[in-house]
Order: sequence, then C-alpha cells, then structure tokens
Amino acid sequence: MMLRKGLNDRLLAWKMAGGVKQTIVEIIDNGRRNSMVVVGFTIIVIMVALALLAPWLPMADPTPRTIVQDDVLLSPSPSHWFGTDELGRDVFSRVIWGTRVSLTVATTAVVLSLMVGVILGLTAGYFGGAVDYIISGTIDLFWTFPAFLLALAFAAALGPSLMNVILAISISYWAGFARLMRGQALTVRERQFVEASRALGAKNSRIMFTHVLPNCLAPLIVWASIGVADAITIESSLSFLGVGTQPPTPSWGYMLYRGIPYLEEAPWMATFPGMVLLITILGFNLLGDGLRDVLDPRMKGLRP
Amino acid sequence: MADLVSYIIRKMMLAVPVIILATFIVFLMLYLTPGDPVIAIAPPHASAADLDALRDKYGFNDPLPVQYGSFLWRLLHGDLGQSVSVGTLHVSVGDLLVQKLPRTLELMAIGLTISYTMGIPLGVYAALRQNSWGDRGVMVFTLVAYAMPSFWLGILLMMALSVYTHILPAEGTVGGFGSIILPALTLGLGNAALTTRMMRSSMLEVKRQDFITQLRSRGLPEREVIFKHALRNAILPVITVIGLDIGWFVGGAVVVETVFSWPGLGMLMTTSIQNHDFPVVQGCILVLAIFVILGNLVADMLYAYADPRVRLG
Repeated sequence: MMLRKGLNDRLLAWKMAGGVKQTIVEIIDNGRRNSMVVVGFTIIVIMVALALLAPWLPMADPTPRTIVQDDVLLSPSPSHWFGTDELGRDVFSRVIWGTRVSLTVATTAVVLSLMVGVILGLTAGYFGGAVDYIISGTIDLFWTFPAFLLALAFAAALGPSLMNVILAISISYWAGFARLMRGQALTVRERQFVEASRALGAKNSRIMFTHVLPNCLAPLIVWASIGVADAITIESSLSFLGVGTQPPTPSWGYMLYRGIPYLEEAPWMATFPGMVLLITILGFNLLGDGLRDVLDPRMKGLRP
Repeated sequence: MADLVSYIIRKMMLAVPVIILATFIVFLMLYLTPGDPVIAIAPPHASAADLDALRDKYGFNDPLPVQYGSFLWRLLHGDLGQSVSVGTLHVSVGDLLVQKLPRTLELMAIGLTISYTMGIPLGVYAALRQNSWGDRGVMVFTLVAYAMPSFWLGILLMMALSVYTHILPAEGTVGGFGSIILPALTLGLGNAALTTRMMRSSMLEVKRQDFITQLRSRGLPEREVIFKHALRNAILPVITVIGLDIGWFVGGAVVVETVFSWPGLGMLMTTSIQNHDFPVVQGCILVLAIFVILGNLVADMLYAYADPRVRLG
C-alpha cells in the first residue's frame, strides 16, 4: 500500500513535469516574449473576432438577391470601404464573411486530420511491430502523394461543396500529423513514467492518451498552426479554380478569380480579398514558426 | 558504391506502391463522381433496358476490382481513354497530354532557374550578414513570399507589370518569350523563398564549423574562405532538394497556368474539371503525380549521393 502511494506521488510529479498544464504554461510564458508569436496571435485573434461577429457588424448584405445597377463597380468610399463588385455587392462585407468560410473550412479540416493522424500515429508508434508496419506504410503512401493534387482530385470528383472541400483537405493532410505523432510516440513510450504507469497496471489506452499524448502536445500545436495556414491556402486555391466554395457564398479565392477581368477597371475587387488572405495566412505561419522557435530552441533560425 | 545502388533500388521499390495508389485514386475519381456515366453517352429516349445494355457493354456492371483491373490493363497499353469535351471530342487523352506537357515543362524549367538564381545569392547574403537589417529584410521577404498563395502573387505581378505598365503580356502565349516571364516569375518567387531560407540556414551551419576557423587562421582571404570552401559545402543540401521542389512546382503550375491562361497541363486540367471531362482530368493528375514521385526519387538519390550516412540508414 505504501509502495503504491509512493509510486503514485512520483508519477504525478513526472506527469506534471511534462504534462498538459506544464506545456501550456511554458507556451504562454515563452510565447509572450517572442515577437513572431505575439504578432501572429494578434492577427489570428482579430480575424477570429471578425469571423464570429460578422452577423452583428453593421455591414451590407454579402449576398443580396437583387442587383442594384447604380451600385456596380463603385470605388472604395466611406459607404463602401472596399468598393463594390461587378454585381454591386459590398466587397468589405464579402471579405469579412469570407473570413468565416475560410477559417471554418481550415480549422475543421485541420481538426479532422489531427484526430485521424493522432490516433493512427499514436497506435503505430506505441504498439510498434506489425501494427506499425501497416500503418506507417499507409502514412508514407499518403505523405509522398502531392497534397494539393490529392485535394484537387477529390474536390473535383466529389463535386464542389463546403463539406467536400473539408474532406479533400483532410484526406491530403492527415499523414503529416500521423508521421509527427508516430515519431513522438516512439520516443515517449521509452520514458520512465510510461514504464511506471504500466507497472501500476494502467491499460494501454490510458497510457496512450493520458501519458504519451500530452507529452507530444508542443510539436502538435506548432504543426496545427502551420496546418491551418496551409489549409487556408488549399481552400482558397480550390475556390480559385472553381472546385471549392461555391458562389454566392463569399470566398476569398473565388473573389480573386472574379476580380481578374476587372483588374484595370476595379482593382479593389481582387486587391482587398488578396490582402486579407495573405495577412491571415501570415498570421498562422508566424504563430507556428514562433512557437517552434520557443518550444525547440535548438532549431532557432536553423530550420527553413 | 554497392550500398548506394542497393539504396536506390530500395527507394525505387517504394515508389511503385505510390504510383499504384495514384492510379487507384485516379480510378476512384470516376467512381465518386455523382451521376451515371452512361446517361451522357446514351441516346435521349433510351429505355432502362437499353441503358443496362450500355452499362454491360462498357463494363460498368462489373464488380469494382474487375473494373480497376481493366482500367490498369488499358493504362499499361498507354490507353487513357478519350476526351468528352466539346472542343476536343474523341481526341485521345494521351495525345492531349503529350501536346500540353512541353509547355508545363518549359514553365517549370524557367521557374526553377529563377528560384535558384535568386534564392542562393540571397540566402548567402543573409547568412553572411546575420541579424543585420539586410538579413532581416531578406527574412521578411521569405516570410511573405512563402505565405503568398501563388494565384494572388500572379495577380499582383500581372497588375504591376502588365495591366498598369504594359511591359509584359498578361495572358496566353501570343507575346513569344515575353509571355512566359510572368507565369515563370510567379512560380519561381514562391519557391525562391524556400531556397533562400534553406541556403541561409545551411550557410549559417557551415560558417561556424571548425574547418572554416582553421582556414581563416591559415590566413586565407575571407573571400576565398567563403566562396571557395564554405559555399561549396553549404550549397550541397540546397541542391539535393531540387527534386522536392518539383512537388511544389506541380501544385503551383496548376494554379499559375490558370491565372495566366498558359496552355499547359495545369490549364488543361482546370478547363477539363469545368467541362466535367474526367478522362482528361484523370490523365493530368496521373502525369503530374508521377512527376512528383519521380522528383522525390531524384531528391532521395542526390541526398544519398551527397551524404553517405543516409545510405546505411
């Protein structure tokens, strides 16, 4: 009884030494002092706030049913900050509503691929042997296959819809998470606290999700942040090519596509969605890059 | 040398299942597409029995593995089917691909040249002046160029160099060599960001190694130390990833060709998607995917050649 209590205490200490709480405290503490993290995080907070508040902001309807001829292709003015498009719709309002679409698709896709990747990678890395052989083979297959082509193939075949875009991105993206998770699980499973909890009779699933997973949190967060940036790029590219988000739903990629014929006449149609798109992608990339430097100082400035 | 050969053979064996996966994905595309394929080829008033006869004739009633097998069989004989677009009806997909492929290769070659002629000097410069304002400027450039989606960069370049200043033609191929500059620049710039970052970090790593200090202590001029000795070692890892860049260029080419109406494989693919011309889409994806897989293979080989430790792993 005494022995068991002693072990439990030590286990707790070990878990705290590398557990969820500590990782989060570490991220916030060190992140505050990294300018990339601060800038990236600020951009993300603003974009998320705009996306969430879109229905309550005092803006024109992004998808009006009728075309008002007088409103077509107006240049930016106090009443239409970003001007209007070829159908007389307010570009500012469409850009803000586009944020909602972009962020929803990107985060859902990343969460989906994160879940699939974590479960498969964790299983492969933790159990090893034949299970690992089969799962890593599949991971390698999808990892080698060009992500954008895969997403394009699926989006084209499934037909354009929001759900299909999410699916297409997830299918092409989960392998990255699985690879990362497998590598992490391989090293963490050898650590002493895992052995200790096994000695205490903990089930495999418990060890995997309460001991191994929290210790892989830091790199997963870095990857997820960069993943959202990639997913936004893929979503906007698919929409640009006409197989992503369908009109009249406002989407940055499609707005840019519609802007090309009007570059001379109404450059604001493409410029504003493009700027916001770039800033958003930059925000997630900055956060990911900065966190990587913070969490893994050895890599600082060395990795491309 | 024997270990290098066996390493390359092992890597080639690994590429085979990926190519098979590519064919399966491409085959599956037709399966996932909503709608009945025979409706399109059947006469307007065909009865249910007629439709079924057509399905039998084209093998749509066979079980999935049988259909996949016959698809692979035709593929092995170079038969990718026929286009169903109005403009190119009944033209064989293989012919279309052969016709468009050189355009895409041309674009990639010039893009790759731009990427390396820009990225390597910039990276070296940034590494030699680490933490200076010049270095920071280069890093900000790479950050933005890397985050920039290629279609948006293309539109910006189009506005700057064509729509407002009329220096270069905006679209198509009518402008001769001038026409390829904008799309190639768009493709090259994004990749240049990656090359710059790699070159910078590689140079930083080499710069602080002992043999560089030793060369300096022998009294060699700084110019010689950097350009003759450090650069030669630092450039190796950057060159070896040239194969991986192909993957980036393939994805980029599809988008960039669409922006500039450049008549290559990417443009063919997007127009075919819009026309629901799936045999052509299948062909394009297959060819592009094989490109990327071969690119990865080349990267592996160069890497193993440059760094003998890899072969043994």
